Amino acid sequence: MVTVSTSAFYGRANQQMGSLRARAEAMQEQIGTGKRLSRSSDDPAAASRLRSLDRRERLSKVDQGNSDRATTDLKLADNAVSSMADIVIRAKELTLQARTTVMSDAGQKAIATEITALRSELLSLANARDAAGHALFGGEAAGDPYVETAGVVSYGGVGTAPQTDLGDGQSVQRSMTGPDILSFGGTDLFEVLGTLAAGLASGGATATGAAADALGLLDAGLEKVTTAQTVIGTRQAWVETIDDRRTVTTELITDERINVGGADLAGTITRLKELTTVLEASQASFVRLSGISLFNQLN
Amino acid sequence: MASDLLSIARSGARVARGALEVTAQNIANAATNGYVRRNVIIEEVSATGGLLKAGDISLSGARIGGIHRNADAFRQTEVRRTAGEAARGGAELQGLENIESAIEQSRVYDLTVEFEASLLALSADPTDPSLRASTMAAAGNMASGFGIAATSLTAVGEGLRFDAGAALDETNVITTELARVNIRMARAGDDSSDRATLLDQRDSLLEKLAGRADISTSFNSSGMAEVRVGGATGPVLVSGGTAGTLAATAQADGTLDFTLDGAAVTLAGGAIGGKGQALEALAIRRDALDIAAGAIIATVNAAQAGGAALDGSTGAALFSGSGASTIALAFTAGSGLATAPAGSPAGSTLAGNLTAMRSAFSGNGHAQALSDLIFAASTDVAGKRVTSEALTSIASAAQIALDQQSGVDLDQEAANLVRFQQAFQASGRAMQVAADLFDTILGIR
Repeated sequence: MVTVSTSAFYGRANQQMGSLRARAEAMQEQIGTGKRLSRSSDDPAAASRLRSLDRRERLSKVDQGNSDRATTDLKLADNAVSSMADIVIRAKELTLQARTTVMSDAGQKAIATEITALRSELLSLANARDAAGHALFGGEAAGDPYVETAGVVSYGGVGTAPQTDLGDGQSVQRSMTGPDILSFGGTDLFEVLGTLAAGLASGGATATGAAADALGLLDAGLEKVTTAQTVIGTRQAWVETIDDRRTVTTELITDERINVGGADLAGTITRLKELTTVLEASQASFVRLSGISLFNQLN
Repeated sequence: MASDLLSIARSGARVARGALEVTAQNIANAATNGYVRRNVIIEEVSATGGLLKAGDISLSGARIGGIHRNADAFRQTEVRRTAGEAARGGAELQGLENIESAIEQSRVYDLTVEFEASLLALSADPTDPSLRASTMAAAGNMASGFGIAATSLTAVGEGLRFDAGAALDETNVITTELARVNIRMARAGDDSSDRATLLDQRDSLLEKLAGRADISTSFNSSGMAEVRVGGATGPVLVSGGTAGTLAATAQADGTLDFTLDGAAVTLAGGAIGGKGQALEALAIRRDALDIAAGAIIATVNAAQAGGAALDGSTGAALFSGSGASTIALAFTAGSGLATAPAGSPAGSTLAGNLTAMRSAFSGNGHAQALSDLIFAASTDVAGKRVTSEALTSIASAAQIALDQQSGVDLDQEAANLVRFQQAFQASGRAMQVAADLFDTILGIR
């Protein structure tokens, strides 16, 4: 004969309802946090994957920060270089005026003064600073790369323009060195403008001769500056390309994170509903069964 | 010997009354832990006819032959075995969960990734004092993360050893008590109610014992238990009236060695065994954490030594210490970070050495090593959780099976109450009939 002892009945009911309750609470936690895993041991492999995704996301965020810095520096360099181009173009206009023999000496001198002003403007542009306060066109040098001593401007920069890692093994130089922009054919724009200003200041045939000499050199200098502008523009485009790629990768990481570690809300809620129905039913049947006792029937 | 109707009826009433008392006892103990339902064994009392009196009726009614304790030895053994397994699994799982939490919640992995990220951020402008300061802060946080993980693991170990010690003390109390029950058992009469109570005590003590250590039990004819620890051939823990004393000593790596009366003994089951196994897992994870911390110290310090600090001097070691509990920042000024290649002048914006440090850090897979450590700890937990759940459900199934057979069913007791009450009333009726018969004889005129 199989007897159902009273304590066995209560023990079993307790165990069944307890396990239903525990499962319902685990689901409630999933819905509440939106995460399928509350600790690594819930699914060790998925948790390990999530950790490596977190790491990639964190490093990619820093890459984005570095990339933004590089973009800022490249924009600053772009602005500086296009101002340099404007200066060279203005200098060329003035030189064309100065070349004509009808120009008076006073006029030549006035042009010489303006050329000198343009030259010092060019010098301050060449010593521009990047977002962090370092020399924009000085390579790794700490101070001003171009220094003027006794009317001669010399380049004191070191090495190449600094590089920024953009992640995934890609990097970009976030500026150019001064000589890459301003030096050509054994001379540089400071020397050309200096010689030109000195020549024009002398007046007469020396002035027109100097203007004629300078014209060709200014053309070559302008070409060098605009080439530099193109290079900087290409680098900006490269940074943008990498940024786009990073955005796509970040989206993929987010997607994968949701797939691996996110709670399936619809499924979980449905299962929770099912579970609560079962729990309510077993509670109701427990109350009914526990109410039945032979003692109630005996008088 | 002739029958006596009145005394037959009296014996019947006495038996019914005894049965009612046992039923009432069953009802009273319906919810008592370890109580096994009792039955009265009712025997007929009669004599065989004597010489030349073969035709005589010689009946003397009934008597209570004994109190039967409705226990099934096999199911009880199963309950002890499965409860011991479940207790071991539960204790081990709890210990492993604490280990997992200690490592995971110290956030040592996130802090290490944060340090790696700060090195990457610093590479954008190696001379920026605020980036240097944030790298130093990240390095300090990572060191504290290791410290927290190490301290938490130590605390987990202390907790496990304390629990194991407490369980050992309880075990020693239980075995002493069991030896005492054994002695009393030898004196109790067969099938007496006293004996049934002692058997209940013995079984509940054995159940408690099985929950704490892996025991194997045998009983002699008088019901005295002989308990061996660690399997059927293990050393004797309780025999007759003597009980051995279990003790534990902590080893250098935090694991426990157990002794029984001074001789080494293996405890693989029960809560104590589970705690011991968790302590072994703890020692392994602790070593791995120390190795991970040591590797980071070695990589970063080697990279520092290969570069120049902001003032142009050779980089000094960034971390002091050798393991997770001792790792600490050796200096706090951000200018000490050797970002530039060796031999660079002061204030160099070159990031050559920083790049070398970063690639060594990711190339040596320090973050991955920590992730693997957490993975190993959490796989342990996930695996043991499945085992523990299975063991728990097996144990509760065995317990319910035993309860079903040995527990009190109130409906059945209610029916018995009515049955024995009727038997009592019927015996009373028989007495009445005897009196009537006697009156009839007296009334003959």
